Amino acid sequence: MVKTSARASVLLAALLLADTAAAHDHADHLAHDTKPKVDYAKVWLEKQQTAPRLAIAAQFDASQLWLARVIGQQIFVSHSRDAGKTFSEAVTVNRQPELISADGEARPQIAVAGQRVYLSWTQALPQPFAGHVRFSVSEDGGQTFSEPVTVNDDSRPITHRFNAMLADAGGVTLAWIDKRDGTGNPDYRGAAIYTARSTDGGRSFATNRKLADNSCECCRLGLAADSDGTPVVFWRQIFGKNVRDFALARLDEPLRRVSEDGWEIDACPHHGGALAIDNEGSRHIAWFTGAEKSPGLHYRRIDGETMSRPFHFGKLDAQSGHPQVAVVGRKVVLVWREFDGKFNHIRLMTSRDRGQTWSAPTSLARTAGAADDPLLLTDRGIPWLVWNTTADGLKRSRIAP
Amino acid sequence: MKRLAILIAALLIAGLAQAEMRPFVSGSLQKIERAQKGKPFILGFWSASCTHCPAELKALGELVRKYPKLELILVATDTPAEAPELEQLAQDYGVAPQARWIFADAQPERLRYEIDRRWYGELPRTYFYDGRQQRKGHSGVLPTAQLEQWASEHVK
Repeated sequence: MVKTSARASVLLAALLLADTAAAHDHADHLAHDTKPKVDYAKVWLEKQQTAPRLAIAAQFDASQLWLARVIGQQIFVSHSRDAGKTFSEAVTVNRQPELISADGEARPQIAVAGQRVYLSWTQALPQPFAGHVRFSVSEDGGQTFSEPVTVNDDSRPITHRFNAMLADAGGVTLAWIDKRDGTGNPDYRGAAIYTARSTDGGRSFATNRKLADNSCECCRLGLAADSDGTPVVFWRQIFGKNVRDFALARLDEPLRRVSEDGWEIDACPHHGGALAIDNEGSRHIAWFTGAEKSPGLHYRRIDGETMSRPFHFGKLDAQSGHPQVAVVGRKVVLVWREFDGKFNHIRLMTSRDRGQTWSAPTSLARTAGAADDPLLLTDRGIPWLVWNTTADGLKRSRIAP
Repeated sequence: MKRLAILIAALLIAGLAQAEMRPFVSGSLQKIERAQKGKPFILGFWSASCTHCPAELKALGELVRKYPKLELILVATDTPAEAPELEQLAQDYGVAPQARWIFADAQPERLRYEIDRRWYGELPRTYFYDGRQQRKGHSGVLPTAQLEQWASEHVK
């Protein structure tokens, strides 16, 4: 604002001082230069550069807590043997700095399997809403990381963002939101879900595969392993003309609609859902909708063809949102964020009977400043909240069994 | 010389428009509502990072040109650091004079809490004030017919 006004004043002064003839030429030149032409690229770039980098990634392996965080234009990985009280010295993943999305729904991801530590993130491009899904792997327990690669095999500067990642002993799967099918096609609704799988420990990826057309454009994806290990993706989909409810699909299988709120909206909800799958293969999902008939957060369990009735949770007057779900045996845990006008809270609710009945919600943590959305992890059968905050740093909370 | 005059005028107008973009902080909504008391108006929230906002802002810009007496106040939910770029965007969408405010709080949830406890941050978000202390909120791009109808009923 100040910059632009100052520039305008300098221009005015220069023009008023100049003699008429010179000013005339000058004016022609300036009029051309100052024609209101918006540099969207610049707007977008600056938006990315100034965005808070609060979104972190974390995961427990058999013995430690792993943490990935973005500082400036680099992603750093460290680990902790005391559940996050103290961390090892951080290792740089991308030695070459690049713009990394780490805010709200756009989150870096970490996954650990044996000695392999997988990292993925979205590199924000100067073009509006554009990004590349990036990937790097450590094969030596997080001491060194491979040169990052771009996983999306469409390389145009368009949306390939909101990456999710799932590792297992057999390899690693990435899923993301991709606009390649809609670019240049105004009739195409929303974006698409694409996936890529590596079966050689992240050294190479198979060709990108489209899981579904017409996803919503800017909500994080849920990703979990089915009882047979197949990755399952959970995301906000556009049904019909413009209904933004949730869908679920096993990798390379047709999608299934799993919420019927009927949220018809031409807007960016920036509000994805969460998925956990138990040993019996039941899906536990938590999601947000703004639909008038059923606003707010909901949980449901899906057993084969049967879906339980959506169970509403969270305070509507406290911006309840951004849920996470975890399942350990018959126990299901839900956490989500609320704001009471002064504090950001992480609220907790548990079920001991696979989601049929629930405890009263309690406050698990709170902070007075800005905060990331909650992460819900599992350490050898014990759920943990990990929550990044501005005022109190990284907060961790063991959720009593 | 005529060109020069036009350029200077354009720069001055641009300067004035810029001068009007103010930080939207705790208490700003009350300030706006007090200033607009008894008058119907539209309060719209938008952002540079919202894919559906350009369509909404252009439609609102058209509406203002059709109903010059329409009171429209736009608030960007970005950060003050982005003000120059937001002003450019607003100008491109034809709503520069209406884009008067910009979120200025490290915790946008705090501002949303004051504005509407049931607004979860989805954009565009639009409120129709009827001039009799009542308002109606709407998320997402509004159908042109709905905007037209509100304007024809409320703009005298």
